Amino acid sequence: MGRRIDAPSVVRAVARYALALALVTLALLISLAFQNSIGNPFWFFFSAAVILSTWLGGTGPGWLAVIYSTLAVMYYFMPPLHRFAVTPRELPYFVTFVACEIGVTQLISWRRHTEDVLRRARDELEVRVAERTAEIKRQMAEQRRTEETLQATRAELARAARITTIGELTASIAHEVNQPLAAVVANADACVAWLSRETPDLAEARSAAERATQGATRASEVIVRIRSLITKATPEKSKVQINQVIEQTAAVAERQAANNHVAIKLELSPDLPVVVGDSIQLQQVILNLVVNGIEAMTTVTDRPKMLILRTEPENKNQIRVSVQDTGIGLTEEVKGRLFEPFFTTRSKGMGMGLSISRSIIEAHGGRLWAESNGSDGATFQFTLPNEDSPGI
Amino acid sequence: MKEQDPIVFVIDDDRMIRDGLQSLIRSVGLRVETFASAQDFLGAKRPDTPACLVLDVRMPGLSGLDLQLKLRDDGIPIPIIFITGHGDIPMSVRAMKEGAHEFLTKPVRGQDLLDSVQKALASDRALRQERREANEIRARFESLTPREKEVLELVVAGLLNKQIADQLGMSELTVKTHRAHVMEKTQAESLAHLVRMSEKLKTATRK
Repeated sequence: MGRRIDAPSVVRAVARYALALALVTLALLISLAFQNSIGNPFWFFFSAAVILSTWLGGTGPGWLAVIYSTLAVMYYFMPPLHRFAVTPRELPYFVTFVACEIGVTQLISWRRHTEDVLRRARDELEVRVAERTAEIKRQMAEQRRTEETLQATRAELARAARITTIGELTASIAHEVNQPLAAVVANADACVAWLSRETPDLAEARSAAERATQGATRASEVIVRIRSLITKATPEKSKVQINQVIEQTAAVAERQAANNHVAIKLELSPDLPVVVGDSIQLQQVILNLVVNGIEAMTTVTDRPKMLILRTEPENKNQIRVSVQDTGIGLTEEVKGRLFEPFFTTRSKGMGMGLSISRSIIEAHGGRLWAESNGSDGATFQFTLPNEDSPGI
Repeated sequence: MKEQDPIVFVIDDDRMIRDGLQSLIRSVGLRVETFASAQDFLGAKRPDTPACLVLDVRMPGLSGLDLQLKLRDDGIPIPIIFITGHGDIPMSVRAMKEGAHEFLTKPVRGQDLLDSVQKALASDRALRQERREANEIRARFESLTPREKEVLELVVAGLLNKQIADQLGMSELTVKTHRAHVMEKTQAESLAHLVRMSEKLKTATRK
């Protein structure tokens, strides 16, 4: 039944009907041949022909087989013989035969139909399952992509925000301080010029000197204002689980690390006391150290690029956080100037990151310093006082 | 101070810097006028005398670079010394391309500024002198008749009287007469002098 003939449908239909005719004719011949030896064997052979015709050919050929065998039986085996008629005495027998044939055809064609429907349903189901699987796979891939993009965007954003703030701050400080300094220089130069004249003009020199003093005062006022701005921004203090902050920061930096083939490893001490501080500022400091570490390993090729974030109790009053890289390390000269504002070894750097980080940690009552791991990278570490340490 | 004395215009929105620069420039005996904005400068009356502009790039309202373009478009040739707080290279390149005389970064060393000012004034003086001469020459040349102008063109181009006569379809004698008039009206002392004046006029017109 599973066979399928790959011929045009008309040819297939003709073949099916021809098969029915052939089968019934075969049944007829066999019945005639065995007529004398077995009695009336047509029942068996014709039933078999009808069953096979319906089974192999379908409903139409089945019906053809039924009609053909009814006529053949009527003609060859029902008295009166060799006429298309049946005697009244044989009628019930003949009717039973025909009814059986019809019943068998119906049953088999119904069965065939059911099977067809089932098969079609199964095929459809398979196609649908395949489609659905593909769809789900596509959705999953898309979701993964979205997540990756989101992650990248988040990291970019954190970095951009950091750089923008620092950049804007730097530009504005530079302008604010440079303006009064320019006034100081101009007025001091004027003062000298008035004094150097053949007959020095003391009045002019004095007023120029006074303006120079005013300019210097203004410059120092600008600096006082900036300092108060920074210290005012500091206290936003709450209880901070430093390990959580580090885990979040590592997640933010993960993508940048992956892009630079850097493995980030966390070695967090499980029983650290709580510290008090501004978790956003602390995150900024850690992110800054992490990014610095990753960037210090850009050119490294001869060893694994590994960034270890470690927390441990420093003593009973403090905890220590360290960020260790396997990057280019620190020369003595660089080490000495690391925390100076505007000092940078990178072409694109602002040179403000470490200096700001140090002021944040110091505002938290801690210390930030750097150590060289020989020729094999650097370790930046800071301490923070515990919540109940006497310093807080 | 005489009206013809050179003058230095200082434009800066910061009063302290303005006063400092003014005092500095005055200390070497130059006349100074200060303005708090580019608009104030444009609104003020400027005497006809050699001058230069000391201009802060970064100002509220019309910036230093805007003012430079405006002066150029209005046909007011005055040398400009820019002062900028941030040594921004693209900006200085732009300013220099537009003909800025000098570009100094804040804080400016007094002597640097004074040197630039002197150079700018000298250059303006020379330019004004050149313009005045060109104007004089133009007036003389314009007194020529159309025919004399034609002859002048060909004389300056190096043609002989005979060639000029051929080209303009007149006798050599007539050419000689026209030529004498040209020399007289333009007060040229020699053929070389005439050629020089003609070149000067052309250069000034091109500028």
